[in-house]
This record gives sequence, C-alpha cells and structure tokens, in this order.
Amino acid sequence: MSEKGTLFDDEFLKKLEYLNLVSNHMIPGHMHGEHRAKKKTDSGIEFADYRQYVSGEDTKNVDWRTYLRLDKLILRLFEEEADLPIYIFFDASGSMEYGAPVKFDYARKIAAALCYVGLLNQDRVNLVGFADGIAHELSARRGKHQVWHAFRFLEEAEPHGATAMEKAFKAFFSSRRRRGLVVVVSDFLDEQGFSRAFDMLRYFKQDLFAVHIHTPEEAHPDLPDEVLLEDAELGTSQRVRVTPALLEAYAEQFEEHCEEVGGYCRKNGWGYLRTTTDVPFEDLILQVFRQGRFLK
Amino acid sequence: MIFLGMGAGLIGALLGTTVLAVIYLYWLKPPPQRVVVPSTLLWNRLLKEKKRNTFIDRLRWWLSLMLALTIGLSVAAGIGRPELSSPGQGIRNITVVIDNSATMATFTAAGFTRWERAVAHAGRFLRQGSASGKFLILDTSGQAPPGEPGDRRAALEVLAGLTVSLGGVPEFPDLPEVESEVFFISDGVMVDGAPPEAALISVFEPAHNVGITAFEIEALPSEPTRYNAFVQIKNASPVTEQVTLRLSGSDNEGIRDTLTLQTGETRAHLIDLSGFGRGPVRAVVTADSDAFSADDYAYGFLPVRTQTRVALITPGSLYLENVLADQPKLSLEVIRPAQYNALVSADVYIFDRFAPPQAPRGPALLFLPPDAAWLTPTLSVVEVPDAPGWNPAHPVLRFVALEDLRIDRAARIAAPPFFADAPGDGAATQIVVGNRALPLVLVSDREDRIVRVSFALEDSNFPLQPSFPIFLANALGWLMDEQVALARVPGRVEVPLPRAVVTDLEGNDIVAWPLSDRTVFLAEQPGLYTVAGEGYSRLRVAVNLASTERSSVNDSELASGEITAAASTVLAGAEPGPNDELWIVLLLLALVLVVAEWITYHRRLTI
Repeated sequence: MSEKGTLFDDEFLKKLEYLNLVSNHMIPGHMHGEHRAKKKTDSGIEFADYRQYVSGEDTKNVDWRTYLRLDKLILRLFEEEADLPIYIFFDASGSMEYGAPVKFDYARKIAAALCYVGLLNQDRVNLVGFADGIAHELSARRGKHQVWHAFRFLEEAEPHGATAMEKAFKAFFSSRRRRGLVVVVSDFLDEQGFSRAFDMLRYFKQDLFAVHIHTPEEAHPDLPDEVLLEDAELGTSQRVRVTPALLEAYAEQFEEHCEEVGGYCRKNGWGYLRTTTDVPFEDLILQVFRQGRFLK
Repeated sequence: MIFLGMGAGLIGALLGTTVLAVIYLYWLKPPPQRVVVPSTLLWNRLLKEKKRNTFIDRLRWWLSLMLALTIGLSVAAGIGRPELSSPGQGIRNITVVIDNSATMATFTAAGFTRWERAVAHAGRFLRQGSASGKFLILDTSGQAPPGEPGDRRAALEVLAGLTVSLGGVPEFPDLPEVESEVFFISDGVMVDGAPPEAALISVFEPAHNVGITAFEIEALPSEPTRYNAFVQIKNASPVTEQVTLRLSGSDNEGIRDTLTLQTGETRAHLIDLSGFGRGPVRAVVTADSDAFSADDYAYGFLPVRTQTRVALITPGSLYLENVLADQPKLSLEVIRPAQYNALVSADVYIFDRFAPPQAPRGPALLFLPPDAAWLTPTLSVVEVPDAPGWNPAHPVLRFVALEDLRIDRAARIAAPPFFADAPGDGAATQIVVGNRALPLVLVSDREDRIVRVSFALEDSNFPLQPSFPIFLANALGWLMDEQVALARVPGRVEVPLPRAVVTDLEGNDIVAWPLSDRTVFLAEQPGLYTVAGEGYSRLRVAVNLASTERSSVNDSELASGEITAAASTVLAGAEPGPNDELWIVLLLLALVLVVAEWITYHRRLTI
C-alpha cells in the first residue's frame, strides 16, 4: 500500500534541500526563471539577429544606420529569456501499487523532488497524475511558496485503474499548452503501448524526460511452478506453468520492453532514466541532474 | 512373462491400479497459487509466443507421464516377482526326482555332499524350464507332497524343504500322468527302478567310508544279568582302512580297539560290558578319512545295575535264599517278617508269604502275600491249578518255560485291579494264567513295579525248575526297569506307548504325536531317545543307521558325474541369466527412472 501523510516527512524535506544545493552547485551561475528557452523578439537587451522590416511593424527597432548605408529597412532583434513550463506526469494506475517500497510512492517522491527543484528555480510546474486518462491535476504553479501545495496534492493522489498514457497526454495537451519539458514517471506498462503516447508528445513539440520505474521482482520474478497471475490493473488472471526457461524468457521480454522505451527516447533526443525502487530516490534525482536535461 | 509372487488376476489388478493411480495423479492438479503482478502485459505477450511450442509442451507432458507410468509399473511388476519366458523355447514341463536316501549325505572331494550337488542340479533344471511350464519335485523318501506339476516357485519351495532321509526304504516315486520331462538325480546306491524315459544325472563320486553296520546290547541267555555288545563294522572304502572302535558308557572311560579292515571287509566284535554301568552306551568308529558320518556311531542302553540291593523278607525259604545268593552283582539281605519295618532300605523287596501293612518304598516281588490294605484281597484258595498259558514275550518270562510247572494250591484274587487303593492306576497284567482264568503271576507297571505270584514256592515245583533262576533274574531286571532299548532306524519311529513324551540323550524334547495306542516321532539322527508314557511306563529307543546297505556308499553302478544325453542337452541349453532376479532389474530400472525424473523435473524439462 502507498503511504499517506508520512510520504513527505522531515527527512524527505532535508533531502530536498540537499538536492537543491547540489543542483545550484552543479550548474553555477544559472539564473532563476531565465534559463529555459530563448526567443528572438523586438524586446529584450541582448542583440540576436536582423530581419527585414515588414510594413506596419513598430519602427522603434529599425536600424537607421543600416538604412542609410543600404537603403533598406532592417529590424534589430533581441533575445528574450523565456521561462518554459515543466509538466510532471506521474503514473497513478493500478500497476504502480506494487512492490516494496510501492512504486507509486517512489514515483510521487521523484515527482515531488523535481517539482521542488523546479519551483525553487522559479519554473512553472504542472503536476499531473494519469491512469486511463488524467486522474489528478495540479495547475501550473511558480515559486517556493507553492511547494506545500504541490506536496499536499501528491499526498492525496491514489493509484487506480488501467494505464492509458496517450489518452492522458491527448486530454492534457489538447487545451493550449506552451512548449515545455514533460517529465513522465511511470512503469510504462500500457496496454495500448507507450509509443503512441510519445508520438503524441512529439506532435505537440514537447520535450520529454522519461523516468522508468520498476521493482527488482518485476525484472526477475520468483514464482512457484503453477501460478495464477492476476493483473493489478485489469483484474484479469492467467494460469501459467512456470519453468526456468519461461522465467528466463520473461526476463528477456522485460529487458526488451525497457530497451524499447529507452531506445525511443534516445532516438528522439529525449532523456531517459531507468531505475528500480531499491535505489534511494535522491540518488536517482542526482542522476537526473547529471543528465543535464532538467537543469540548464 | 509370468509372476511368481502373485496370481495372474492379482498382478493384473495391481498393474491396472498402478496405471490408474498414476494417470489420476497426473490429472489431479492442485489449485495454483494466486500471485498479483503489476501487469500481465508482458506475460501475455510471452505466452502468446510460447503457444507456438504447444506440441513440444504436450510431448514433454506425455514423456513425463510415460516416465511415471514406467516407474510405477516397474515397481508393481517387481513386487509380483516376474520371470521372463525364454524366447524360442516351447512350454516345457519338468519333473525332477531327487534321491534323498541315506548315502546322499556322503561328502565329495569338493567338500559338498552328494545331496547338495543334487539340489544344485535340481535347481538348475527348474530354472531352465520355460516360465509358463509346470514343475514338479519328487523324492525317493516320500518327503515331497505328491501332486500335479505346478509353478516353479512351488517346486523350488518343495526342493528347499527336502532333506536327506537316513532311514526308510527309498524307492523311485510314482510319476503323475502328465507329459513332462523327467530328470532323476541320484548317486545310484540305494535307489533303482527309474523308468527309461527319465534322464539320469549322477552325483556319485567314490568316497571313503567305514561304518557300524550292526550294534546290539543283549543279555547272555545263560546269565541274564550279564550283557555283551555286538558291534559289526564294515570298510566300504576303496582302500584298506585303519579303524578305531570306541565304546563308552555314562560312568567309565570305555573300551578302545584298533583294527585294520580290507576293502569291503566286514568284521563283527562281541564286547563284554561287565565294566559298564547302567545307562547309555555309545559306539564310535573313526578312520583316517570318512565321507559318510551318519554310520560312524551307534547307541544302545545297558539296563543292568552294577550292584543291586535285594531285601528278602521271608519266614525261611532255602530256594529263594540259595538262588539269590548265586546271582552276580546282587547284595542280599534276608529279613524275618517280624524284623521288617518301613525303614528297611533296598533296591528291590521280595516278600515271601508276607505283606507289610503299607506298600514298600520300591519295587517288590511277592509270593503268596497275605491280605494287606494296599493289596487286592484273596477271594479263595484253588487246589491243584494248572498253568496252561503264559506270555513269553513279557520281559519277566523271557527264556522261562513253564510246561512242567505243578502247583498244589494257589490264591484267587480279584484281578484286575491289582491294588485295593488305586483302582485306576494299578491295573495289573496277568502273565501266567491258570485254568478257569486263575491269575498265577501278575505284574503291575506302577512307578514302583510289582510282580505278584499267587502261590507259594513251597506249594509248587517251581523252585526246582531250570527256569526258576531265570524267572528270578528276569523279575529283578524288570522290577529295576532293566530292559534294553528298542532298536529303530532314523526316520519315523513308532513306540507302543500312547501319548508319550520323547526326549533325546541331552534331555531335549522331541516333537511327537499320538497315533492310536502308540506314539510317533521323527528321529532324524542316530541317538538314544527316552519315551515316557502316561503313568510310569518308560521305554528307550536306540536309533541307529546300522545298515550294510547304507554304509556301502560306493555300491553304485553309476560313473562319477555321469549325465545322460537328454539331461546334458538340457544343461547345455541352459541360459544363465537373472530370470528369477528380474524383480531386482525392475526395481533398479525404477530407481534410475526416478533419478532421471528428478533431474528432468528440476531442470524443468518435463514440465
């Protein structure tokens, strides 16, 4: 069972503080709220480029010296620092309520940690729990004071139902969303397949960082000879005569599945991190930082 | 395949039950354990691929089932003691007649007896027959139960129960009227008369033997209290033998004699047993080499005492005093009736015209006793009776002639019973009977024996008869229970005592059973046996081989190891193999398969 009320205790908060310090140390001189994306606009300070003047535009940035030399109206463009939003999707399907510690708790801690660092960096952070659609959603927040709000939201979330990532992404990004970083914390055990959901992210031009969680037992299950396997999400069962060969084949299948997810991400230049629940979450967060995708 | 341990129906039921049980256990699947997994997505994908291997999976399942069935059937069949029929052999019925006469106990040079070799041959014949054939074991002494041929196991059991029979008259048994190959295994010494169709296997081998062919302890007719031992020894060896003869009794060192006997020579010895005390006498012959031991010793019983104390209570009888004074080894004390009291001690009491108020504490001979409380009273006095009948077979009257006996008068007593106070126990036997059924001499076989003469010596001419001293000696001998042992040969022994108890020389009880008015017991070895009947009757039986025929262990027309053509064909066709050990092979197979099953199970090859 997932923990309630004790998930984000003092010990956890201390670890978050530590992670925040580490994140500042790892990326020296980075600026809060300005480090995400650069947009060439007519406002701003730092010169970026020129472009042809179009009739009707504001003439304040027309480079008159160039006009005198070339007899052409040229506009000067400046880079505008824009804060890109962070969308943290955590898997709240039935399959996450498995293992010791429970995968869902582990996923919530990761989501909380990334949310904490994002909020402290003055990023706009969205928290979304998904199952066969959007199960829980916390609208975009910014600033340190939103941390407790986010934690309460995570604590109240409960895993339930089947996984349908595509449906959840479609529902979320169909309403106008700015391009940003999508962090998905999940076991990616989706009956419809993860690739269609990822295609959807590509369609919406979102950047993805996938955190793939599973328990050690999932990779190498220890099962009796005759077993009735019950699906935690669907409630269906399957009678299986377990043999070492079958277990070996299953382990290969599992590796293949993980490799598929990771391969898709790498192919699209996305971040991917695979972990088991026996790895301390702070170590995982540090790995996320080291990948450099979360902090820029 | 046939099964020795169980009938066909039973083994069929066992095998069928095993098959059903194994199949049932295979179909009986325990409920699987429920295990919750995050998702069966990957399992379903995997099992969809695995379904392509269904045929191999089914093959594995069938292989596992076949393994389990083979294991179960191997164990079940092993319990039934299976045996394979030899391929190519037709059904053969085999009858083996095995000679178990006395000479088969002769040892061969290899250290086995002829009997042991015969049993080995018989076992081979039985094992070589076809598994579905019929088998019968017969012997020449009638130990094997007669009947129709049966299965091999029964025949082997009968064979295992047979032994050499030292006694009896061995003869070739009657064969059952069924088609069967007949084999006769013998040394050819004591049994002949085998039918021509019987294939003969000889276990004869020349052997050394010196044996006692006769042994008897007898009193001299002229001197009934003196005994001689008659010993006859035969050298049946193919060479001259130095023989040592030893006679030993219960209380002396015995007699030792050495003699040289030529091949086939028989020599008789008469040995005076004056130096021997009352009790068993054992004769033993030894030679340098002797392959047949059953005739090397013989037993007898010397009945006479070395010194007998006789108390004669008489008012005066010169006849008795003189005759008794002449008896050897006899200590006589003459007492007048007035001096007699119950404290007088003697081995035998002789009361002449006198009877004490109480019975004496020992055997007694009474001549015309007056009435006493412990005696049957006199009814009347009969004048001048004759003695037309007597029983010469009774030990008291042995060698006694009474044709010339004349009696003036005799007392008529109520007989039987003999004793007034013991009507049941004191039944008397009349051994001399006068006219009109007048009992003249009666004997009673109580614990303390009694001989009662119903006339006075002075009233007859009996003391003047030559047989009177013999009568006295016989009477004293019988009263002292002095009788030689009955002579019998080993085997079934019958004694004329009903419901008797039999013990051997060491006092061990021998199994005996009543047969009408006799008792029967089996004396498997030579020895001296004591037979105690109801009441106080007792007999000794000397069981000795003592037979020239049995000692002649080389008296055979067969050659050493001779095997007739038919038998040799069978022996040559023998297929040595573990036919009757097939159950071991089956159990080993089951063990190997269990190990294989264990390995394949643990490697998940069969599931």
